[in-house]
Amino acid sequence: MAGSIHDGRPVNPNTGKPLRQRSQPGYYPGFSTLSQKDFWDDATRRIVLARLQNIPSIRFFSPEEVELVTAVCDRILPQDDRDDLHKIPIVNCIDERLHENRLDGYRFDGMPTDQEAHRLGLQGIAEVAQHMFQRRFVDLSPIEQESVLETLHDGDPPAGHSIWQRMPVSRYWLLLVQDVVGAYYAHPFAWDEIGFGGPAYPRGYMRLEGGEPEPWEVDERRYEWAPPPGSPSAKFTPVGGSSEHKGSPGQGSTH
Amino acid sequence: MKKPFGGSFGAPKHEDHMLGARQRIELPMRRYGNSEQVDYCIVGVGSAGGVLLQRLARAGFSVVGLEAGPFWDTERDWVSDEAGSYNLYWNELRITGGKDPLALGANNSGRGVGGGSVHWAAFTPRLHPSDFRVHSEDGVGVDWPISYQEIKPYYELLEKEIPVSGPAYFPWGDPHGYPYGPHPMGGCGDILVKGCTRLGIGVSIGGPVAILAGSHGDRPHCIYRGFCIQGCKVGAKQSTLISHVPDALAHGAEIRDHCMVSRILLGKDGRVTGVRYFNSNGREVEQKAKATIVCGYAIETPRLLLNSACPGHEAGLANSSGTLGRYLMAQAGNVVLGRFEELVRMYKAPPAHALTEEFYETDPKRGFARGFAVQTVGPLPISFARQMMVAKGAWGWGMRQVMMDYNHWGAIALLGEILPWEDNRVELAAEKDDNGIPVAKVTFNLHDNDKKMIEYGKNKVMEIMQAAGAEEVVQEARYAHLVGGARMGNDPRTSVVDRFGRTHDIPNLFVCDGSVMPTQGSANPGLTIQALAARTADYLISQRSEVFTRSTRSTTQPPIRYDLSPPGTWGKGVPRLT
Repeated sequence: MAGSIHDGRPVNPNTGKPLRQRSQPGYYPGFSTLSQKDFWDDATRRIVLARLQNIPSIRFFSPEEVELVTAVCDRILPQDDRDDLHKIPIVNCIDERLHENRLDGYRFDGMPTDQEAHRLGLQGIAEVAQHMFQRRFVDLSPIEQESVLETLHDGDPPAGHSIWQRMPVSRYWLLLVQDVVGAYYAHPFAWDEIGFGGPAYPRGYMRLEGGEPEPWEVDERRYEWAPPPGSPSAKFTPVGGSSEHKGSPGQGSTH
Repeated sequence: MKKPFGGSFGAPKHEDHMLGARQRIELPMRRYGNSEQVDYCIVGVGSAGGVLLQRLARAGFSVVGLEAGPFWDTERDWVSDEAGSYNLYWNELRITGGKDPLALGANNSGRGVGGGSVHWAAFTPRLHPSDFRVHSEDGVGVDWPISYQEIKPYYELLEKEIPVSGPAYFPWGDPHGYPYGPHPMGGCGDILVKGCTRLGIGVSIGGPVAILAGSHGDRPHCIYRGFCIQGCKVGAKQSTLISHVPDALAHGAEIRDHCMVSRILLGKDGRVTGVRYFNSNGREVEQKAKATIVCGYAIETPRLLLNSACPGHEAGLANSSGTLGRYLMAQAGNVVLGRFEELVRMYKAPPAHALTEEFYETDPKRGFARGFAVQTVGPLPISFARQMMVAKGAWGWGMRQVMMDYNHWGAIALLGEILPWEDNRVELAAEKDDNGIPVAKVTFNLHDNDKKMIEYGKNKVMEIMQAAGAEEVVQEARYAHLVGGARMGNDPRTSVVDRFGRTHDIPNLFVCDGSVMPTQGSANPGLTIQALAARTADYLISQRSEVFTRSTRSTTQPPIRYDLSPPGTWGKGVPRLT
């Protein structure tokens, strides 16, 4: 399963050719939440602009860990279709959370601290990569890297057993994925990609029903794309394998 | 792109402390000395603490509220942003375990003046009359020591004070109407209405929610921006921070923020003398008080009482029954997500704006006791991505793909009654917080009736989503809210506090928050917590100084005080129901 340079890119399903990189993937071309920043309140503007302008430096992960966790995050939330100017920083956000010990308000009984869990998890991923491909995770092709991570998602990693005995693999998987998506979908580039209107105080929204856009939002314009052929992450399967993973309650606030 | 009139929106150019877009208060407030013995010390200024503080101050008592989190300036501190709202929640370490562990933090725990009411979605249904007689009617759980009729006038009063928007006629439980009109619908409300209507299920639209459909005093109406649970910068959604705290301060109450109470102090005479706490400088000091009311919610209240163990009270203060920390409850809150061919854009409008209580009461045909409600939710992108992580097992390209369809998805949720069980509890963990105080360990297990309810309820919500026309329906198991842990009851052997929140064991120590609830129904607890606080306040005020000196306890409910409400409560219309 040798990797080619393009096998990380999504493709046009009709031609099978890799899509060109875009400044803004997604179905809302021209939509920019940042273009509305003069309508936001000061405090919100400051905190959102800081995500573009003040990317925190690495203080928690070691240089070796940074190399590995960067490669992992690049597969948990791939950005191969984004041009270099519009990639969203993820590792720095996770590093900042762990360095500042910003907890989510709880730790599952029997789990190590979030910091230790992330460190252990990276060791586990490295061991699975060695076991499956006899190479370092960072040297694998994107598809190979995904197939390593898929074993964690499925709750059945073939190596690193001493680590998974200390930390249930599905709990680590959910911790990792929720940290990664928490960084990506906090970024205004991601809001533009998915057509989320973003901050709206003090102006508010006025077109509430029927999915209609505000005057400053844009209509959806879909195009066909498909994940890279053979990508394990394109399948939707339950976390923890066929039996639905139990005992992992939803994280955010709803009602 | 167009610019706002007069240029970019900036911070307000004045020195006042802002509570919402138009409400400003003058600080400093009245200050008491640590050695000055105040009448009441309130631990935790949240949903209950805020109401108590306001009532007691208005009635002329000297009262100090100690709050672990900050006194928010909403213009400075709050943002229209998911990740940026991190500080609204109680994010300090707690250990969560059991067979069905609860998520804590952002899911159910507030920190800062206003407490959980700062980040609630603001659904305000009442409990039903049957909720107070669960054991008598269904043979499960336990009866409340009070009836619906005893709390009803406080529901009516708080619905005007906070105030509540909703339909003129709300048909479930004890039918009633709301003082502010219903809100316009958003995408998820339309889905709930469509699905329910096709299945012949009645549905309430535009409320009941504690979100203003029209301006109220110095609070503007809702602007439908959808960031309710990130803290309402507008001031349209109620929190006690904006509805009761300003009036409390105007009547001489003091709030000390960034003050973490570590211990309740017991005197030689078996009465509480005050509290010890870490002040905003991290120094441990004491506040003397004639009576103390713990309002820390279902986890921090038991934790504080357990951490206050002392000779004669080795198992924790007010724990002679052994029930302190037990009978903790969360509601089943499974979120059902549906993908539609057309766009929904569920980030607009308050997440809470339509619900049905058609399945609230016990139906023997369903094979379990009690029931559930179905309500709108409106997850923003980060929450939605985390739901998809579980509901579809999404990651990698699958995550990117489903998130690009964010605007095609809508969400509605179960709110189901989980019964009180002795083994669901708060204890102390071996771990300690930064102040060296042992943290809480929470254990949660679903029991047979709970599992049957969740299975039935989840399927019913999915059926509604399908009937609304969703082409794909998935769900994520989760829980919402917390109550119990210091339940009220008439029998000191099986409960922690009496019908007014006074601990059975110590005559001048009270608990007033969600932890006193013996059962929870399928109603969001916020309104009930505030109504119970107003009722406890009336009781305390009617007792005058007897609470401070006597050990005898009156169990008679005093008449409701209609003269202690914040300004602007009266003259609002509630359609009269006959």
